[in-house]
Amino acid sequence: MNSMDRKQIAQGVNFSAVSDNRFKTMKISATVLVPLSKDTASAYALLTQVMTRSCEEYPDFTALSRKLSSLYGASLSGGVRKIGESLALTFSVSGLDDRYALTNESISEELSRILCSVIFKPLLQGEAFNSEEVEQERRQLIELAEGEINDKRAYANNRLLELMCGDEPYGIRRYGTVEAIKGVTAAELYSTWRTMLNRAHFEIFFIGDSSADTARAVFTEEFAKIDRNLFTLSTDIVRSADNVREYEDRMEVAQAKLLLGFRTGCGGADEGVTAMRLMCAILGGSAHSKFFINVREKQSLCYYCVSRYQRAKGLMIVESGVEFDNIEKTKQAVLAEVDAIRRGEVTEDEINFAKLSVANDFVSICDTVSGIGEWYISQLSDGRLLSVEEAIAEFNAVTKEQIVEAANKLTLDTVYVLRGE
Amino acid sequence: MQIKEVVSQKLNEKYYEIEHPTGLRVFVWPKEGYNSTYAVFGTPFGSIYNHFTAQGKEIKVPDGIAHFLEHKLFECEEGDAFTLYASTGANANAYTSFDKTCYLFSCTDNFSRCLEILLGFVTNPYFTKETVQKEQGIIGQEIRMYDDSPDWRVMFNMLRGMYKVHPVRIDIAGTVESIAQITPEDLYACYNSYYNLHNMALTIVGKVDVNEVAEICDRELKPCAEVDVQSHFPTDPYEVSEHYVEDKLPVAVPIFNLGFKGDASRRLSEQEIAYTDILLFLLASSTSPMYRELMDTGLINASFSYEQFEGPGYNSIFFGGESKDPKAVEAVIKKYIKKLRAEGISPEDFETARRATYGDALSSLNSVDTTANLTEDFFFSGRKLFDYFDAIAGATVQDVESRLKDILDTDNTTLSVVVGE
Repeated sequence: MNSMDRKQIAQGVNFSAVSDNRFKTMKISATVLVPLSKDTASAYALLTQVMTRSCEEYPDFTALSRKLSSLYGASLSGGVRKIGESLALTFSVSGLDDRYALTNESISEELSRILCSVIFKPLLQGEAFNSEEVEQERRQLIELAEGEINDKRAYANNRLLELMCGDEPYGIRRYGTVEAIKGVTAAELYSTWRTMLNRAHFEIFFIGDSSADTARAVFTEEFAKIDRNLFTLSTDIVRSADNVREYEDRMEVAQAKLLLGFRTGCGGADEGVTAMRLMCAILGGSAHSKFFINVREKQSLCYYCVSRYQRAKGLMIVESGVEFDNIEKTKQAVLAEVDAIRRGEVTEDEINFAKLSVANDFVSICDTVSGIGEWYISQLSDGRLLSVEEAIAEFNAVTKEQIVEAANKLTLDTVYVLRGE
Repeated sequence: MQIKEVVSQKLNEKYYEIEHPTGLRVFVWPKEGYNSTYAVFGTPFGSIYNHFTAQGKEIKVPDGIAHFLEHKLFECEEGDAFTLYASTGANANAYTSFDKTCYLFSCTDNFSRCLEILLGFVTNPYFTKETVQKEQGIIGQEIRMYDDSPDWRVMFNMLRGMYKVHPVRIDIAGTVESIAQITPEDLYACYNSYYNLHNMALTIVGKVDVNEVAEICDRELKPCAEVDVQSHFPTDPYEVSEHYVEDKLPVAVPIFNLGFKGDASRRLSEQEIAYTDILLFLLASSTSPMYRELMDTGLINASFSYEQFEGPGYNSIFFGGESKDPKAVEAVIKKYIKKLRAEGISPEDFETARRATYGDALSSLNSVDTTANLTEDFFFSGRKLFDYFDAIAGATVQDVESRLKDILDTDNTTLSVVVGE
């Protein structure tokens, strides 16, 4: 990967170009950050859907799809996710690199133009979005939100966060609620869109072999027309849990989902985040982690038992799928591994293997077009941007003492179980 | 040893094909500028191979044994392969499908050590009663996890509705009951029949040198005798077994799979696969009138998808998604198939579909893992990957219209639905 050329093109708008000739495709994405709030989450989620369905130039999704398909199956996509207590809206286009077109045409310039149209020139009816388009996407977003129940693992994760962070913005789902989705009007979407253009933070990435100059110029020109008054984005990191809360839901399922939510005491730009990430990898980040070896292989309790560090919010989530009769036993087995690290029972091999595994993951990420953008976007909450090499060097500098210290910062906040009768 | 260079000027791609003296087929696909290497070592032995004659002896094995064998092969006399990989940083895994089992790793460093480990454990089975028993708990939980997945259930219910006797109707992992019958002797019988270098293939993509691979294979692989194995698949009738099947699970919107059963008397050519891909894009992509009608009437959402599904003794086309009225979706899909047959394909629609299919296929060569798995797939199916790309680029309206005559028989379908409780 070549170095990144990152420029601020307007207040709170960064345009990063990564020139890379290894791939068949190129990609331009805009990640748009707004505060996560229960009053606006559903409107932003619906807005993202409506904006990627059509625009003024291609006023229905068949016209837009046909245009994209004629550009060798290019794609336009939109989505929302949480990064700490910000909601991140993503608008992206990707398609074949100009070199692989069967005829002479600049796919990348066409795609830059389409992405700009989608963001700056949506299909409007006065000061409202087109109502038919909104109704189509509203139905689909409701089905998407309700459909979360289909994937029991994802559903259990959402329930845990909702219960654990019920008094914090982080407990809000990325689509908000079905009730709120039903209530958003086409006029409200228009004002949400205007607010987004005026106040959101934009991170735009251009990754590919073609020149980013046209895309950068078009975005710069569009933002010059807009008065910018940036949102303040922040995430509250709860330092520790006072007591353990336990919740259980019952549903017709064959396997129980067991989730443990810990407060890690550090996140965002805090010192100690790297040690916490490494500690979490040693616990349950690979096929030689403590959970894999002791909970899965030695005790045959489960097929998966993993830990994830949500560093933007300072949480560690442990999850597993088990027999109903083994819920308590698995919970104790997980806690025993956490206690082992707290007591300093972690070997040099375990530490080195985790470091190697993390380095392997980091280097691999940048062998894909999407991975390159993700590498930087995943760091937006860190308050700084590191290269892969810099990040690996930081991990390699972590000591055993720092790992043990990280484990001792963990406090169990919430235990969630989804099980059958 | 013969090293053959296979080049596609159009795709700007090149790989090496080696017929190793041990009988193993090796594909080495260097990708310039990549920092990671992905290796996959596969055998054409998947869940459908439950009845065979090896060296004159007829053998029947319990359902799910190919997948069970995949898990157990990681076990070595001196520990397990994951532990060996740990010191390399590599990410190792394996998967079992209907018609093959593949062992893989992705690394950014220590490549030669990783390849030694891979070749070593796959060619040295070690099964005991104790280790077999231990695995039953772990795989049991994997099966339970799939039991709760509506997408998985709706597909297997459909396959059971379509296929009366062919083992493609059996769950890949088997059932908790069937895997309880597996013995070390069964595992050795399968291993000795199908894990023979003469019918296996190794593919390595990314940062890799062909001579280094050849040298490691020379050092690590021992010559082995060819084994005479006949796999027995009962011939399924052309007609589906059931036209409609329904199941209940906790889902928000009903989930459906609609399968069109086709002639499976021989494997398809590269051209037939390519023309079918173009045809499916024409018929069902987001650019199509059919998709438009289904969306406008609220019958589908963005989860709608389609695919060809073909292997030894089975050949069909699936449509799937979420819908409040799957029977109405079935009617609309069939209506548009008949319409396309009656009215023919317009040159403009064809050109859009050809370009989009080409772009999609080409972009799959971006990633080392997709490239490697495609290479294995095509080899085991007796097809050539570059011929498939050429077939898309060279397709004509007549080719695709003629394909439409042979497939998508609207009288030979199974609709599988999972409804909420």
